[in-house]
Amino acid sequence: MATLNDSRKRELRRELAAIVGPTAVLSDPDELMVYESDGLTLFRALADFVVFPTSAQHVSAIVKLANRENLPFVARGAGTGLSGGCLPAQGGIVISLMRMNRVLEVDYDNQIAVVEPGLVNLHLSWKVGPRGYYYAPDPSSQQACTIGGNIANNSGGPHTLKYGVTTNHVLGLEVVMPDGEIVWLGGKTREACGYDLAGVFVGSEGTFGIATRIVVRILKKPQAVKTVLAVFDAIDQASAAVSAIIARGLVPAAMEMIDRLTIQAVEDAFNCGYPRDADAALLIELDGLAVGMDVQAEHIVAACREAGAREVRTARTEAERQLLWKGRKSAFGAYGRVSPAYMVMDGVIPRTKLPYVLRRVNEIVAAAGLRVGNVFHAGDGNLHPNILYDPRKPGEETRVVAAGAEIMKVCAQVGGSISGEHGIGLEKADFMPFIFSAADLALMHRLKSAFNPTGLCNPGKIFPTKKSCVEVGPVAYRPHAIEEKGLAQRF
Amino acid sequence: MPDALLEKLRDAVGPANVLTGIELSPYVVEGRTPEAAVFPASVEEVAAVIGLAAEAGRPVTSWGGGTAASVGMPAARAGLVLGLRRLARLLEHEPGDLTATVEAGMTVEAFQAALRSRGQWLSLDPADADRATVGGVLATNAYGPRRHLYGTARDLLIGVTVVTADGSVVKGGGKVVKNVAGYDLPKLFIGSYGTLGVIVEATVKLRPLPDQEELVCVRFDRLKDAGAAVRAIVASDLIPNAIELLDAAAASGAEVAGGALGATSGGVLVVGFDGVREQVDWQRAELTRLTGPFGGRDLRPLEATAWPRLAPAARAAFPVTAAAMAFAVLPSQVAETMEQGAGMARARGLHTAWAAHAGVGVIRAALASDPAPREPAAIAAVLAEWREMVRGGGGHATLEWAPLAVKSQIPVWDDPGAAGRIMERIKAQLDPTNILNPGRFVAGI
Repeated sequence: MATLNDSRKRELRRELAAIVGPTAVLSDPDELMVYESDGLTLFRALADFVVFPTSAQHVSAIVKLANRENLPFVARGAGTGLSGGCLPAQGGIVISLMRMNRVLEVDYDNQIAVVEPGLVNLHLSWKVGPRGYYYAPDPSSQQACTIGGNIANNSGGPHTLKYGVTTNHVLGLEVVMPDGEIVWLGGKTREACGYDLAGVFVGSEGTFGIATRIVVRILKKPQAVKTVLAVFDAIDQASAAVSAIIARGLVPAAMEMIDRLTIQAVEDAFNCGYPRDADAALLIELDGLAVGMDVQAEHIVAACREAGAREVRTARTEAERQLLWKGRKSAFGAYGRVSPAYMVMDGVIPRTKLPYVLRRVNEIVAAAGLRVGNVFHAGDGNLHPNILYDPRKPGEETRVVAAGAEIMKVCAQVGGSISGEHGIGLEKADFMPFIFSAADLALMHRLKSAFNPTGLCNPGKIFPTKKSCVEVGPVAYRPHAIEEKGLAQRF
Repeated sequence: MPDALLEKLRDAVGPANVLTGIELSPYVVEGRTPEAAVFPASVEEVAAVIGLAAEAGRPVTSWGGGTAASVGMPAARAGLVLGLRRLARLLEHEPGDLTATVEAGMTVEAFQAALRSRGQWLSLDPADADRATVGGVLATNAYGPRRHLYGTARDLLIGVTVVTADGSVVKGGGKVVKNVAGYDLPKLFIGSYGTLGVIVEATVKLRPLPDQEELVCVRFDRLKDAGAAVRAIVASDLIPNAIELLDAAAASGAEVAGGALGATSGGVLVVGFDGVREQVDWQRAELTRLTGPFGGRDLRPLEATAWPRLAPAARAAFPVTAAAMAFAVLPSQVAETMEQGAGMARARGLHTAWAAHAGVGVIRAALASDPAPREPAAIAAVLAEWREMVRGGGGHATLEWAPLAVKSQIPVWDDPGAAGRIMERIKAQLDPTNILNPGRFVAGI
């Protein structure tokens, strides 16, 4: 949504260019279109400007300008988010942090790193890897997503079962507040002074300000890792195995479930060695001390067999382990083999409710005349049903969205949550009353007012909304300007 | 307090659950007596009591086991003590989900006993577990040695129910272990010392009980060698669940090294391990190998009863403590901070004891008031020097305990800097009439 007339826009462009330099401001609609969506392409919203600051001072100046002009602004990382969280829902300025991507400091003695928000998640582990360290939160998009984006969404990943999500690894942040002031929340020490503002900031989906420096913990790589694949003829058996493993007092580093449809898609695409006729597979990883690892692995194998696994095998080499993980991590891409489009759902349930909820998910999607693939973090009850559909078929997308809402209601009914790691953003704002009362939301709103009293910082997110200028629905093909100029070609 | 208000409180919770007059002696803090102590038995009753207090403009101090009642400044004006001991039920424990929901007034010990009977535990080990309540531990962000591996309340609390200053009942988080829906309200209430709302229920993540657990101690002739050994341990493959560094005085306070240390400048490293038998055995052997080159010697196991003596070791060193301060520093600065701080006090003729959760950079120091009691100004001068020292390294200091005469000369809480203004705005949003523990917390909140 453009909110400015042309002359005002030219004027503001000049001012923004004076802050960040002329090559760091976009205002041409063809260029802005690149930033109209995130990883959830169902929603689109056009900014007036996209700017690329390289310092906290830049960000602060941009934010102050936005405040002066009463213009909304929103921070953006790699745009891999899955809830529309970084969309300029009410127009204004998108502040891309992709040029602030440095590792500023690594302190191995204290096992912390200070990074800029645009740093790609995996690049931090690359940086500290040679010294035997890594950054634990590992979202599936970690090759592209940024630490700043992870902060906004409190991102998880497979290994968060044992190691916790982003918030458990953030000690402090330098933040440009919604009024432009630069403030440190928390710091390098493990305890902060006063309220846990860093803890409150993480997961606030960009509505409390913009992090410009982040202090994270880095962990020592485990001495040993063991990866087990358990294959089941019935998905209920796989769910039972998850409970059985926990009942034996074991907390694996990761415990991922992959269903039949997903196994077949993955095998078609990558040939990772999952049996195509299985109803479900569990990918279980143990890590820690080398001594005692075999004993624990035996417990895992026994629990899976008792639950009815027809086959349990352990990766014998690092290459085998990588191949198994490739199957898990590339599952989303593999759906492209079996469907022109899919929508990723994200919900959380108590682990003991897995069999019931998975059955309900299948029923709901079948009733909508659609197919679903499940690949998810079974160990912490974080479901990712992926509803397959064809956006060219009239009405399918509407049915997907309706089925998604039904699934969220089921998660809420069994005492779960409507998001485990993708955030509320635009997508689920109207689902918040499924799990929160008016009083709960009112308190959250007061907290937001303490950080963001004008509401200009990432408006239209998290809270159920009355109005929005966001386009929702299938994208009709529109040739991009560079296609029209013959500079690019669509395949 | 007006009789009309007392009547309404008695109506709300029953006459036997409103204490006044002489019955208030257990709730006197720093010589200040509250107007009444009220003990509701349900969330609804808590809401009713806070509603009445708000209406009458009376301050409310929530009270669990009273183990941290003297932390912070006493309330600026007398008001109600809101005791939570009658909200003490375990509401839900589903072992297969590794979660439990508990009322705020249950003691940590009772909660752990219930969990233990089903093979699980809350991986949080604050001091005074027999009296400290779950709600109080959350509100004060209390923890013990095992935080080295298992973190603090912020890593374990997944859902919280609070009654806010206007008497509404509000939930944050949920009952599942992974949840990003809405703002992270559990984080907001942890360590907020009852200034933003009264925690009435909590849902926490649990862990299975480990097969084995072992605590060992290693002696060092010099504290800084022990500090170097800590750095070697955290950089190694070991996965200890606790790394405690005690100076000679604290070691005797915790009764971990007998009298053998005497008055040397040395220290004791106490390290905990858990897991299956062979993991514990391997780690003990590896610890011997790692600490030897730094002068570590006489490695020996400690009884499990030593665990709860570790965190309070500094204060336990002296029959009478003049003041106790807690520091957050970078882990690599721990031993040096302890040595320098002790030197500063010694230069003023004062004895000290020092104990640290060394792997995470949290240190506690106690100042002895013997042999001769000192003027508050002399005590405050050392405390100010200590605070200055840790601030220089990017850390901060909290005056955990001192008589009011000392607290009036040096702020209890450190200066949170520009973030303090955000804290003030949060307080103003959540408690606009300032009735929840007014004046007790950081930045005058």
